[in-house]
Amino acid sequence: MAGLSSGFATNYIYACTRMRVRRSRLIPREDYLRMLNMSLPEIIRFIGDTSYRPEIDELGTSFSGIDLVEEALSWNLAKEYQKILELVPGDLKYFSLSYLRRWDIQNVVAILRGKMQGVYPGKIKEVQVPAGKLDKVALDRLLTEESPERVVEALKSERFYPTLEKEIGGAMETGSFAHMENELYKGYYARLIEDAKGGVKGGNIFLKYIQLEIDMRNIQTLFRLRTGHVQEDVRDMMIPGGTFSVDELQQIFGLDDRDEFIDALKRRVKMVPLLNALEEIRRLSALHEIEVALTRVQLDQMERISKRYPFSVLPVIVYLEEKKYEVANLRALARGKEAGIPGERLKGYLVM
Amino acid sequence: MVDFGTAEVTLEMVQASQLGMKAFSAALAVGLTGLASAIAEMTIGSAAVGATAENRDVFGLVLLLTVIPETIVIFGLVVALLLMF
Repeated sequence: MAGLSSGFATNYIYACTRMRVRRSRLIPREDYLRMLNMSLPEIIRFIGDTSYRPEIDELGTSFSGIDLVEEALSWNLAKEYQKILELVPGDLKYFSLSYLRRWDIQNVVAILRGKMQGVYPGKIKEVQVPAGKLDKVALDRLLTEESPERVVEALKSERFYPTLEKEIGGAMETGSFAHMENELYKGYYARLIEDAKGGVKGGNIFLKYIQLEIDMRNIQTLFRLRTGHVQEDVRDMMIPGGTFSVDELQQIFGLDDRDEFIDALKRRVKMVPLLNALEEIRRLSALHEIEVALTRVQLDQMERISKRYPFSVLPVIVYLEEKKYEVANLRALARGKEAGIPGERLKGYLVM
Repeated sequence: MVDFGTAEVTLEMVQASQLGMKAFSAALAVGLTGLASAIAEMTIGSAAVGATAENRDVFGLVLLLTVIPETIVIFGLVVALLLMF
């Protein structure tokens, strides 16, 4: 029972079972297919009958339409993540907290972008998901700051402050936060690896997840860059720490022919589901379909590893990831319906 | 002082010793199976509490699953009773 804290860790079994039950209550594929044929008000009513009911009821008086869906989904996600942090014990909490720090980066970058473009704080608040270490109060405090520089100053005690401080000048000068965001996420993954290798029991299993995530992110980025016909050196955009080295990724990216590129990836990959997905990707041309196929493989593979280590951090992370995609799916559905996109086209964007 | 080299083993002594061994075996049968049941129930029980915390409807089912390892100690008890009587 690798991954257990010590002896008969019943609290691990308790927490992991709760995660599995929660996972079984996520919206199934059939419901997504049904929602594809619904209008926005029908979707809101449908969501209101699921675990999103408290948020829909609570926010129903202040928001309507797409705003109601957006707000309810963000609130629910943040609340759910905070609840899970409360119920997971010991080392599982340590790793879950590490994992959830990605939301801090997302929230801070959204605040910085909003501040730079002079967006009203209330509007920035609507896109915040306080699921990480920075809670609602901390984010509200950041929102009251006047400029992006002041926001960065207020984050002095955070892990990612050195990167923020280093990158903010360049980002303000160019008006683009893309490079800073890349660096922040690279720092995030480096810290995750550090935490996993820090000697805490179960770290080796957490590391397996991190490597899988980094590999999938890098492969997705390579496909994105190819679709965007980028010719430059991509090493700076790759996340180190996965099973592929950055130089190797650059070498694979350098192959001009698409089939050769996919063959090179396949030669390096051992996971059978990913090999099958790459073969399937060969005949896909739309980027969103490729991304969805890769995400599906990642989730399936995580689920597979979590079954091998049933009482580790993986069942928790599998649930957190699947919940994230459920929210993303519902948001895509609602936004798509609002924009009048037909269900058949929307289906390609959903991770089911 | 008893001289063990020349002491005679009487029938009563042998019978008493046999009875003692039987009692000891019966205790082992119940004790060890009890311990095994406890370990099994601990694992199932934690999962059962977790499942019930999420969905109260499964309480009856998980209660049943939790007590299934109880059969181990019942077998032990049966063996102990057969030994004793």
